[in-house]
Amino acid sequence: METAINQTFNTKVNNLLGVNKEDAKISKTYLFVSFVILLIGGFLGLAQGLNRAGLLELPSWLNYYQILTMHGVFMLLAFTTFFTFGYLYAGLSHELGGLLPKVRKIVWTAFAAKIIGAVLVVIPILMNEASVMYTFYPPLKAHPMFYIGLVFFAVGMWLCNIGGFIQVANWRKNNKGKHVPIFSYFATGINILMFFALIPVAIEVLTLIPWSIGWTKTVNVMVSRTLFWAFGHTLVNIWYLTATSAWYVIAPKLIGGKRWSDTLTRVVIIALVIMNITGGFHHQIIDPGISLPVKMMHVFMSLAIGFPSLMTAFAMFAVFEKTARKQGGKGLIGWYKKMPWGDVRFLALFISMASFIPAGAGGIAQTTNQLDTVVHNTMWIVGHFHLTLGVTVALAFFGISYWLVPYISGRVLTPKINKLGVIQTWIWTIGMIFMSGSMHTVGLFGSPRRTSYTTYGDHATALSWDPYMMALAIGGTLLIIGVILQVYAVINMMFFAPKGETEFPIADVEENASPTPYWTERWGIWIIVMLIVVAMAYVIPLSEFILNGPPGSPGFKTW
Amino acid sequence: MTQLLVGLFMIIFLALPPVAKIMESVMIIHMHMQMPMLIIAGFLIAKFFQERYPGFFEKWNRNGLPGIMLFIIIVSFWTLPRTMDEALNEAGMEIFKFISLPLLAGIPLRDSWKRLGKIGRNVVIILFTILFFVMGWLYVDAPVQLCNNYLVIDQIILGWGFLTTAICFVIYLGYILFVDPSKYE
Repeated sequence: METAINQTFNTKVNNLLGVNKEDAKISKTYLFVSFVILLIGGFLGLAQGLNRAGLLELPSWLNYYQILTMHGVFMLLAFTTFFTFGYLYAGLSHELGGLLPKVRKIVWTAFAAKIIGAVLVVIPILMNEASVMYTFYPPLKAHPMFYIGLVFFAVGMWLCNIGGFIQVANWRKNNKGKHVPIFSYFATGINILMFFALIPVAIEVLTLIPWSIGWTKTVNVMVSRTLFWAFGHTLVNIWYLTATSAWYVIAPKLIGGKRWSDTLTRVVIIALVIMNITGGFHHQIIDPGISLPVKMMHVFMSLAIGFPSLMTAFAMFAVFEKTARKQGGKGLIGWYKKMPWGDVRFLALFISMASFIPAGAGGIAQTTNQLDTVVHNTMWIVGHFHLTLGVTVALAFFGISYWLVPYISGRVLTPKINKLGVIQTWIWTIGMIFMSGSMHTVGLFGSPRRTSYTTYGDHATALSWDPYMMALAIGGTLLIIGVILQVYAVINMMFFAPKGETEFPIADVEENASPTPYWTERWGIWIIVMLIVVAMAYVIPLSEFILNGPPGSPGFKTW
Repeated sequence: MTQLLVGLFMIIFLALPPVAKIMESVMIIHMHMQMPMLIIAGFLIAKFFQERYPGFFEKWNRNGLPGIMLFIIIVSFWTLPRTMDEALNEAGMEIFKFISLPLLAGIPLRDSWKRLGKIGRNVVIILFTILFFVMGWLYVDAPVQLCNNYLVIDQIILGWGFLTTAICFVIYLGYILFVDPSKYE
């Protein structure tokens, strides 16, 4: 199997000399910003959770919806994307023999665009002029600066994608007929998804800017929501694919095993890229104006995304079992004892994977119209995305940081920080069990989401939610401890840990694996298939929303 | 054998009255999902016939042209508004749809595609791109109801479905025109 073993001269030099200093600076900057944002976003989350539980009165100059918007924007848009690109570019540099000078320039420009965008987004939120939540659904109308900031942020992400494409295309030109190494293959899939998912949201934002300034009077709310979710759902899956890359590529190496099937890995990536954007529609499963047969069709399209995830689950457990048995593990489940539970790099990744079992199951429940009707506007949904993003994605990112940060900083992971990491992982997990568990439960009892603390005039039902809100606050408090420990560990590994060489742990494919077919490299074809699937999925709702559209809505400032 | 079974299962599944009813209730799903899925079913079944009767295909479809002509005729026939209406109104036409698309479009498509060569394939794609633009324009712009069974809004949606698919074909044609695979492979 040639994919991972085949190394170019540049790659070998790179391995010998360690990390490229200039490339490391890029990843270091992205990761540093990402974890600073995590820290601020974490405190905002704590304040929000305590306020929602009725334990904390916010000062008059700050309201719940401001914090809610900021927490969402920080955690969902900024923390994840800064981390993703810091991680992907470290991998691209490592695997493809260093970044091209041109690509470095593009990525730095992207960084500037993203920072400018973030600042422009945050200012109106701080001014209480954009408390529209991170979904910014019209007819809630924010200050124009908020939308302009989003444009800058999107341009930054596009530049990052383009940099990735150039880097991979250059490698392919110099390595004709070879398979793109697996980590870079993941990066390509992620970049393609993000590149195309940003198009609908960019169209949405470009219609909202003139509306927000006052040049246009009304906006088509349903079209905006549809364009948003074509992006929003894909963004979720971009984090997921980033986490998945670590499961497939990094985890086997950490446990001393090999990657199980290169073909399966690549097919999973292709399938996720083709089917993802259309999945956005299930976020609108109880929206009005869409006929039932169309919703029915979309349930199938959404559930189809579950299939590659099941393939992933199979592949992961296959790797674990094979490796553990090779190391002497026995019995039906006794082989689990052979896994390196004391290694934070593995532990965090494992919990991240395991949490995706209930998280994915919850997602499938929500995709079903009738079940979603029960939970759609409740805290259940908030619980769901704290389980998916807060555990599956965040813990994977944390697990990655324990080798990636030392790798790019030319330092090592000390046993002390490893121990701290293990403690942090458990605190985080327990905190999320409390928080996400109570959110799911109280959601089933009808507690609404996107609402600040209220007892509805001391109504008995609303009061019965209070114990769960307390559990939520306990979870939130544990999580902020987790955030502080995590950020401390990252800062320590970045600037203070002992100097040394850390490996970028990419696992090899099994020796007797069958060769990967070359059609997996034909991204041009897969992109066309993706576009046809997107066209098929969105032509019905979008045409109906536009042709049968209402007069449109003026903007509202409800806060 | 697996492909044959999958193909047959697809046809049976698509023909189940509740499945057929829900798919045929939306014009674009009827034409752009049910019909292509029937062709795909035939595409899968083709392998069985190719292995069973290699002489037949060799004799009648040596250069792929007869097969692709049959495919084009059958598919063009089913893009007409009138034929969709009749499939909904007359059982005989509905049965013909479920037989003609897999057997007379799916099977010849698979047998012809490899025989056609690069230029032949691209000619077929260009032909369908033009056809889809024309059909899209017809369905979007027609001032009257073209099908008795579907509303005007349904036919406009179908028209946009044709146009967006045609745009995807154009992107594909641009891709093969401008990207030289020998630089990478």
